[in-house]
Amino acid sequence: MGEISELRKQAEETQSALDEREVQKGKYMTFKSGNEYFGLKIQYVNEIIQYQTITAIPETEDYIKGLINLRGKVIPVIDVRLRFKQPPFEYNDRTCIIVINVKSTVVGLIVEKIAEVVEIKEENILPPPTIGRADKVQNKYVYGIGKVGDSVKLLLDPDKLLNDEDLSVVDQADMIEVED
Amino acid sequence: MAEEFNTDGMLDMYLFENEQLLEQLQERVLEQKDADCFDEDSINEIFRTMHTIKGSSGIMMFDNITHVSHKLEDVFYYLRESKPDNVPHLELVEHVLEVEDFISNEMDKIRNGDPADGDGNGIIQSLDQFLEKIKNGGEAPAEPVKENVHEEPKHFYIAPVATSASRFYKIYLTFFPETEMANVHAYKTVYALKEVAEDLLYSPEDIISDEKCAEVILNEGFRILLQAQCGEEEIRKIIGIGYDIKNVDIFECSADEFLRGFDFGSPQDLLQIDLDSSVEDIEARTQEQSEAVAEEKDKKPAKAQIAPGDFVIQSKEPGKQKKLARDKQKSEKATFISVNVSKMDQLMDLIGELVISESVVLQNPDLKVPGLNLNSFNKAAAQLSKISTDLQNVIMSMRMVPLTNTFQKMNRIVFDVSRKLGKDIEFEMIGENTEVDKNIIEHISDPLMHLVRNAVDHGIETNEERIDSGKADKGKVTLSAKTEAGKVWICVEDNGKGLDREKILEKARKQGLLEEGKPDSAYKDKEVYQFITLPGFSTNEKITEYSGRGVGMDVVVQNIQAIGGALDIDSTPGFGSIMSLKIPLTLAIIDGIVMEIGDSSFVMETGVIKEFVRVKEEMMIHEPNGDEYIMIRGECFPVLRLGKWYGLEHYQESVEKGIMLILEADDKKVCLFVDRLIGEQEIVVKPIPSYIKKVKGLSGCTQLGDGSIALILDPVGLIE
Repeated sequence: MGEISELRKQAEETQSALDEREVQKGKYMTFKSGNEYFGLKIQYVNEIIQYQTITAIPETEDYIKGLINLRGKVIPVIDVRLRFKQPPFEYNDRTCIIVINVKSTVVGLIVEKIAEVVEIKEENILPPPTIGRADKVQNKYVYGIGKVGDSVKLLLDPDKLLNDEDLSVVDQADMIEVED
Repeated sequence: MAEEFNTDGMLDMYLFENEQLLEQLQERVLEQKDADCFDEDSINEIFRTMHTIKGSSGIMMFDNITHVSHKLEDVFYYLRESKPDNVPHLELVEHVLEVEDFISNEMDKIRNGDPADGDGNGIIQSLDQFLEKIKNGGEAPAEPVKENVHEEPKHFYIAPVATSASRFYKIYLTFFPETEMANVHAYKTVYALKEVAEDLLYSPEDIISDEKCAEVILNEGFRILLQAQCGEEEIRKIIGIGYDIKNVDIFECSADEFLRGFDFGSPQDLLQIDLDSSVEDIEARTQEQSEAVAEEKDKKPAKAQIAPGDFVIQSKEPGKQKKLARDKQKSEKATFISVNVSKMDQLMDLIGELVISESVVLQNPDLKVPGLNLNSFNKAAAQLSKISTDLQNVIMSMRMVPLTNTFQKMNRIVFDVSRKLGKDIEFEMIGENTEVDKNIIEHISDPLMHLVRNAVDHGIETNEERIDSGKADKGKVTLSAKTEAGKVWICVEDNGKGLDREKILEKARKQGLLEEGKPDSAYKDKEVYQFITLPGFSTNEKITEYSGRGVGMDVVVQNIQAIGGALDIDSTPGFGSIMSLKIPLTLAIIDGIVMEIGDSSFVMETGVIKEFVRVKEEMMIHEPNGDEYIMIRGECFPVLRLGKWYGLEHYQESVEKGIMLILEADDKKVCLFVDRLIGEQEIVVKPIPSYIKKVKGLSGCTQLGDGSIALILDPVGLIE
């Protein structure tokens, strides 16, 4: 008897875990950087925290702003605009940090403005355009373009965001705008 | 083998218990290795330990362990029973240690999931020979015991002993015929008598398990043979005639009668008394009941023959002995639980956070509003701070472990090596209770082993050499530990020949380690001694089993440096040398000076800062290529401007407005220029997240009181 109820409980738990994944599926956290809206799969996002004092680390890339203290855990933060080689912006107390966890590396992303959580269906995601610039592969960190109503979100591959050597989004973003 | 059963829990228990037993055993053996022979207590203790291990290994079907421990048990059985006075003590100690090693080895294999396949036959043979040897040298009384050992080695029963004050009683209990479950009532009496009994037999014997015997008890009475120190009156009081017991007859009898058991006392009795099995089982059972933690050693696996020959021990009280041993184990079990270190780390992190949020609350700007009455708030705040400080201390102390075990291991090494080398060496431990962070202990064990081996092997001369050089005293190795100024000092001291300065210099020259043109006399003794810590540097001509390959000392130094420690060597030729390890108490928390450059905070470990100096512009020396030096009291230091080097913002340019820190690491000195000092504090070291590539000169980061993060400077990196 006890065993059966145990099993049932397990099954329910599995089900609820599945449900959660199901709920998360297709949802994207969107934020604004420059003129564009970007989307990150919501399962990568741990939390969103207020901007706090950052301790700079010398001799690192300029987009790595430094370290913050997240309730006793020290995590690095990067500035997404600088990461995309966009001009820097002033931080204020409305600036937010998205804490993401990619393959158990926890990193904070400083973004200009957090937009909303949107659901983008599979069929509304288009592959990134490659016209005329097939040789230029920097844009592979944008793995898709999601259509929400009449706006588009650039969907980011967080792994590439953190680890790729060089990113420059400006020209592609412009290009997409033209295309639209 | 063991895997036929589901023995996981049992196996863990088996390993844990036996490990503890072996540790105790080794401690005891080493304690008495310098005596002429083991005292009675130790013989009993070793005997019992072996017996327990034999028993539990038998259950777990580790046959080789069973056999080896059985053989050693035999030896000690003989020692105990016949007390031969011609036992070569050291040889015996070696045998015991050999067996201990063997069993530890096997247990390691078992722990790693390998089969315990070690071959114990060699040990068994050598033990046999040893036993033979002491027997042949022994006197007549050895004979009956010998038989006993050989024919039925497992079948003995060590009854508690008759002291002169012991008295023997036969007790007949008659129960009221209407008493139900008379066996339980009888047992109750036996249990009560256990308190005073030195020895106790009763009949019918399986009163607990066999309900039929209730009838027997009712019909024929319940008989007890008791050996105790108390008088008849007292026994009556203990038994107490109540609603169940109708009559108590107590007869005092002689020891002889007592030994002969029930058949003598009541020959008219038709009942078959099973003396063969009774005592063991009863003993075991009653003890199980009376002691929650029953000791296996009391549960003799086989039937015992209560024969007069068994009562040979005259001079001690095993009853008491057993009790002692039992109490000890009980308290140990109650005192220790093992906790996963990661949980401790987690707890430590949490407490760190707690301390920080505490300061955020207590120094909250909201409290600075003028005109607030904060009296009771301040009181409560003081209480909170006190508790959080205590909490911090407790968690720190939880990570602290005494060095005792590590030192004990060294004791063993000294013994082994000195025996092999034929040196007569005394080993002394001082301050082995000094506590050190667990992580550190793991790191110093190996280096310490090297040092101790070196001291025994190279430090101390052979016996002949000592006599030649007129040293009257024995060779001696002293291992001492003390805490001083937030560091632990562990010293290995020997009274041997000391380091040979000339020899070291000669070797250093051969290896091209000496500076050109520098006369030998310009090297300080300590500088010379430091040469032996370099890789491949051994002044020993011949390689021995233990040392001499020149790989030892550099590994020692590396390991010690890895945990932020240092090795100091001092030596007086002809009188011995002292190797001192200076290690931090803990890795997790260091004393640091917090300083600011521009808007950034940095922390530097206090130990490496030699002094703080305010300097004047004219003391600076500028080289055309931008390098700067500074002249302080006739010494010239290179200057490192941290702000400029790291490209920070808003840092102080003028040397007169900032402050210079003179750092010393790896015997090199450098002047570090910073804007201002904030203060000294204990800091919790955290690693910089691996996402950020390693920056030279930074060793980690920490949280300051206000929750902000400061970077910890690594002096060695800076100097490079």
